[in-house]
Formats: sequence, structure tokens, C-alpha cells
Amino acid sequence: MTRLRRISAVKPGAQEFAEVAERHLDDVHAFLVYLTGDRSVAEELTAETFARACERWRRYDPRRGSARTWLCQLARSTALDHFRAEDRRRRREERYAVGVPEAQEPVFGEELSPALERALSRLSAAEREVLALRVVLDLDSESAGRVLGISTTACSTRLSRALQKLEQEVSAGVAA
Amino acid sequence: MSPLELVDDRFDKLAQELRAAQPVAPVALRERVRALEPKAPRRRLAIDLQLRRLVPAVAIGALAVAVGSAAVIGIVHGSSGHSTALHASKPTVLHQRSLGTEKSSFPAYRAVTSDGLKPAPDRLQQYDASLRVRVHDQEELSKRTQDALRLARRLGGYTVWANYSTPTESGASLLQFQIPIGRVQAAIAAFSGYGTLISQRIRLKDLQRQADDLAARIHRLRVEIASLERTGNDPVRLQRDRARLSQLLHARASTIKRAQMASVALAIVVGKKKAAVPPSRFDRTIDDAGSVLVRELEILVYALVVAGPLLLLGLMGAAAARGARRRSDRRLLERA
Repeated sequence: MTRLRRISAVKPGAQEFAEVAERHLDDVHAFLVYLTGDRSVAEELTAETFARACERWRRYDPRRGSARTWLCQLARSTALDHFRAEDRRRRREERYAVGVPEAQEPVFGEELSPALERALSRLSAAEREVLALRVVLDLDSESAGRVLGISTTACSTRLSRALQKLEQEVSAGVAA
Repeated sequence: MSPLELVDDRFDKLAQELRAAQPVAPVALRERVRALEPKAPRRRLAIDLQLRRLVPAVAIGALAVAVGSAAVIGIVHGSSGHSTALHASKPTVLHQRSLGTEKSSFPAYRAVTSDGLKPAPDRLQQYDASLRVRVHDQEELSKRTQDALRLARRLGGYTVWANYSTPTESGASLLQFQIPIGRVQAAIAAFSGYGTLISQRIRLKDLQRQADDLAARIHRLRVEIASLERTGNDPVRLQRDRARLSQLLHARASTIKRAQMASVALAIVVGKKKAAVPPSRFDRTIDDAGSVLVRELEILVYALVVAGPLLLLGLMGAAAARGARRRSDRRLLERA
């Protein structure tokens, strides 16, 4: 009986899922925008992520991490599936994308400077995801490391390199 | 404390700009997400099949099954062993019966003497028996020795020789009786009831044919002697035949006498150690359960030895696959 009570206490229902989705939708969307570098793709992946979260909501265990971390893990997994599918499709069609196309409209934020926007688009998805988690979403290194599947030290190192590269790209863009 | 402070303060401005320009989910997307509803929980008790919970649950379940089966087998075997133990202890119980009830109180013994090696009343037979019984102490040894001597007399027999000695705590009484063959069964039954029967040997030899042969030879010799007496031709042969007749008559009498009295050797010894007490049902249950557990442990060790390398290879393969997938994801994100 105690065990059942404990399970029910840690297994939120539909109302809780709606609240969590409302609270973290922007975070997940922003993470996927940074990860994919494409707003429309990010929107689709965000919807897919929450659909998966909805299906697996009963398996979510708050004791193992916050809902935001769990959702970001799901989002990353969804994005990786998308990237793999895209990779296979590109191989089949034998037209590999040569770099990331220059953004015609702001992708990473309406209020970003064009130099920062361009610099972000020149970063790899791996670099952008750590920026999104640690800087934009302000996750601590432990949670970010859990999402990325790496240690906190590796996460900090990756963040440092991503920031350095971003700064270099911004400086290069301004100079140009 | 901002996470960036752990890295470098010079990125603060950059970080502030990134945070300020965080992309916001469009209204259409928000509506799509709001439309989602988690599936209703199933009515039956949900079992979380996460591996980290499943493994200990399976381990505990397997342990419970192993211990439970050992207990059940122990109880079942302990119960079935009860009848065996009773059967094994039967002679001890039977030997403690009194002499007065010997006819009805020794079914196991009667099966040997009455049905198996019962002397035939219509034939001449030589009956030799030897018994060895153990008594608890010297006092009982003395009492049982006197009982045996009295019984032999009462049954119409006699003591051929007796050797009674009690050197220290041990002791033995070796008795040799001649008992009328018609009552030897009663004697053996009584002697075996004096204590714990250690050994018993009965030898039965048919003498009827020998006696019949002697009788025939005696008859022929008598006819021949009568003929010689009538004719009186050969006094030497007559004398020799008479001597021979005397020998045959003596042999026949001796044979009949051997068939009339059974020779019974009884050895009563003081037991140095107590008879083994049959284990109790609880002890048997514990023993059987322990044996089953040991057997299960052997099987487990054997399975580990056999499956261990395969399991290790599987784990290594899984770890390698996981690492390869991570590297693949990393390359994928680097290209994206």
C-alpha cells in the first residue's frame, strides 16, 4: 500500500503533463532551434518531442531529474532520429548539403544581432546544443551533461570551446 | 551563480544577448502541444519494467523460488523419509518386547523363522542357529544371560557351555544351547528380544535322506544276518555283519538325536556405543533443503562458468555499440 502511494505520488497525471508542457515548451523549442538551425524543423521536432513525452509520461520519474531535463533528453533523441533520417535521405538522393545555408531571416532569435545570428549558424549542431542548454536554458552542468550523455567536465569543456568559437565567428563577421 | 561564471566572465555579454533573444514557440505549435493528452493509466497495477528495477526484482524472485523449492523439497522428502526411518527402527522396537508375547510380537522375525527357515515336522533336520544381541549395560547382560539359561531349561533343552565375562565397562556372554527342535523357534524369538539384534545366522540341513539310507542298510544287514544265522556257514562274516549293524544303529540313533535337538549359539554383548538415533523430521527437512540449495548453487556456478564469458561478451558488445552510437551521434551533430 505504501509502495502504491509512493508510485502515485511520483506519477503525475494529465493535468500535470499539461502544466509541464506549457511551462517548458519554449525551452524545448529553443533547444531544438539551436540544435537544428531551422525553425520549421524545430517546430516539427518540438511537436514530435511532446507527442513522445505524452506517450511516455507515465514512465517519467521526477526523482531521476527535472521535467525540463527529461524533455530535453527526449528532444535531443528526436532530433538525432531526424538527423539520421535526413542523412540517409541525402545519401539516397546523393545531394549532400554543402555547409549550412546562410539564414535569410532570423532563426535563433528575433533580437539577435546579424553577426551573432550568422556566427551561430556557422557553429555545428553539437556546439549549438551545449550553448542552448548551458546559456539559453541556463541548465547546470550536471543536467546538461545528462542530456548530452557526457560528464560535467566534458560538458564544461565543450561549452568553453563553443563559446570561444562563437566569439571568434562573431569577431570575424564584424571584421568582414 | 550563472553557469558561465564557471567558464569565463568575458562571455557574459554574449550570453545575455543569447538569453534575451531566446526563440519563443509559435502559437500554432503551442496549440498542437496543448491538444496532446497522455494515455489513461491502465486499470491493472502498472509494473515499471525499467531495467534497474527489473534486475533486482528478478534476482529476488529467483532467490525466493530457489529457497522455496528447497524448502518444499525438504519438507516432502522429510515426510517421505519418515516411513523409512520407522521401518529402520522397527527391529529396535521389536527387540524390546517381552518374552511372554513372543509369538505375536515379532512379526519381522517370525517371517524369517516360521515361514522361511521353519524346521519341517515330518522330516529329520539339523538346525543350527547363532545370534548376537547387544544390551545396554552389564546389569542387563547378567539378567539376560540368566534369562537365556532359564529359558533353555524351560524349553526342554540344556546348556552345552557358557562363557560370561565383564572385564571393564564392556562385557559379553557366550552361550551354547541344545534346544528341542520343536521349540527352537520360541527360543530364537526370545533370544532376539533380549536386546538389539546385531547378527543372526540359521543353518538348516536335511537328515531325512541320511536316516532313510541308514535304515535301509540296517534292514538289509538284518536280513543278511538272519540268513547267516540260519545256515551257520560263515561265522566270521556273521560276526562282521553284527559289528557293522551295531555301527549303523549307532549312527542312525545319532542322526535322529541330531535332528531332535537344535544347536543355538547366543552371544550377548554390552554395547559400547548407542544405536544410531534416526534423525528427526526437522533435521531431515533441513538436510534435504540444504542439499537442494547446495545443488542449486552448483547449477548457478556452472551456469555462470558456462554463460559468464558469453554474458561478458554481450556486455562488452553492448558497451561498444553504445560508444559507437555516441560517436555516430557526435559526428552527425558535427556535420549538421
